[in-house]
Amino acid sequence: MSRKHIRNILLKEWVLLFTDLNSALVIVLLPFLVVGQGILYIWLASRFAGESMLTTQVFQTALQKLVAAMPAVAQLPGSEQILVLLLSQFTFFLLLIPTMIAMTVSTFSIVDEKLSGSLEALLATPVKTWELLLGKALAGAIPALVMTWISAGVLLLVISAMGWGYISGFVVTAGWFLTLFLLTPAVAILSFMLGVTGSSRARDPRGAQNTALLIIFPVLALIGIQVTGIVWFTPSLILVLALVIVIAAFVTLRTAVRLFRRESIVVQWR
Amino acid sequence: MAIIETFNLSRSFGKNIAVEDLTLAVEAGEVLGFLGPNGAGKTTTIRMLAGMIAPTKGNAMVAGYRTDRDIEQLHEVIGILTETPGFYSRLSAKRNLEYFAGFYSSIQSPSQQVEKYLRLVRLWERRNDRVGTFSKGMKHRLALVRALMHEPKVLFLDEPTAGLDPEAAAEVRELIHRLGQEGHTIFLSTHNLNEAEMLCKRIAVLHTRLLALDTPDQLRRRFFRRQIIVELEALDAKVTEAAEKLPFVQEIREEASQLILELTDSERNRPELVKAIVEAGGRVVAVSERQYPLEEVYLRLIREENGNES
Repeated sequence: MSRKHIRNILLKEWVLLFTDLNSALVIVLLPFLVVGQGILYIWLASRFAGESMLTTQVFQTALQKLVAAMPAVAQLPGSEQILVLLLSQFTFFLLLIPTMIAMTVSTFSIVDEKLSGSLEALLATPVKTWELLLGKALAGAIPALVMTWISAGVLLLVISAMGWGYISGFVVTAGWFLTLFLLTPAVAILSFMLGVTGSSRARDPRGAQNTALLIIFPVLALIGIQVTGIVWFTPSLILVLALVIVIAAFVTLRTAVRLFRRESIVVQWR
Repeated sequence: MAIIETFNLSRSFGKNIAVEDLTLAVEAGEVLGFLGPNGAGKTTTIRMLAGMIAPTKGNAMVAGYRTDRDIEQLHEVIGILTETPGFYSRLSAKRNLEYFAGFYSSIQSPSQQVEKYLRLVRLWERRNDRVGTFSKGMKHRLALVRALMHEPKVLFLDEPTAGLDPEAAAEVRELIHRLGQEGHTIFLSTHNLNEAEMLCKRIAVLHTRLLALDTPDQLRRRFFRRQIIVELEALDAKVTEAAEKLPFVQEIREEASQLILELTDSERNRPELVKAIVEAGGRVVAVSERQYPLEEVYLRLIREENGNES
């Protein structure tokens, strides 16, 4: 029964999502903007800064961690080591895609229904709170995830089109696959769970939007940790990180269900 | 057999008591009118009975389920029309209803069920139109379909005609009447006293507490004695005297060409009364019973309660 209910919510949410031009544009265009911006940054860095980047402490530390994890990189010329470093780090930037989509899409998922009165009618059906929240989170997370994977594919195509294909073997590693197919889904679900939770607790769209801003900070922290070389995320670390995030998403769902006050929604939102 | 039973059902919001010690029973197949002024606790009661908010005291059983405990099972067997229709304006009428239908295990084929009820409310032709383009009356009819399509045992209607134009209100009323005749149990909250009288077998008047629960006729009798009006071609002293002598006439007065009488038994004494008037030479044009509007009964109940409060 739960699967049927969640599927029902997913299908309705998708129709609403893709019939709204703003939401559809965010989901379709934002990933390409992130990828485009990243490639531009890498191209500018390799074109104008090149090996001189290795003189900075931050890049030296990060490169040392990369070489420790992948000794073959040390055999490459300095400029190519930089390119491998930047492209490897860029995989984590892809985590921004589901997070940013969650910030815009999930923010209004519950608050809009509160305002239109449809939530009261929905709460009078046999739908369970967790089904509703999970359905809404997945409805945003799945397209965001698909778009992230498409963006990763586009990134690989651009790498090869720019003549960097020969270093793709250093970029497309076990860690790359784990980041995309384990960490990204975990981050996507957590981001949307947090967004839906914020939306369900918000009193108005502005409140929901303010709460949603908080979603991006954990991902920015992850990116920061990797870029500065504080921690280099090896496959085993990525595995652990993904597991932690999945647990966090589960805990968020449980907490969201507990925080979801059916009564106050029915009584206060008219 | 009672399908709705409440036992001292109460609900407070902070210091404000919305509903206090409500005890009532509604029979299966009955249409119960639920009247009361704004803020009397009607919507709160409906929400408690529909398992949407919990009582602070007492409890209620609806269709065999405790409304504060068996909420999922309860939601399978009740339908509720809330004050706000609440639809997804960018979705079509059909898609909206199919979405809500998808949550009920009793609905095997949502599209068939939706078609059946959209035809019932004459919205089938507009099934593919976005709900955002619908008038208020159409949205209300659509909301009724949503409340009905899983064929609930009990239907809660919270002011179903509020804010509708007379034509739309009449359509909704006609639909409720039809549902009542088909044997649905309907709990109808309304401000419209004529509507309540037209549609309901019994009427409950709530003002935080339950002030009265009875048939409209019995409620009238609580405040007004039954009066028989005999319309004559012309009033004659002999006729009045003949009527006055009858042992079952308790009170009599003249008004224009009418005799207004209170009888021991308004039904049984009526033929004998007419016979006596005719024998005394009176030419009877019509005999009727004075109908006090339900509004007068309602206002008396509310005023009495307000008097008690102050």
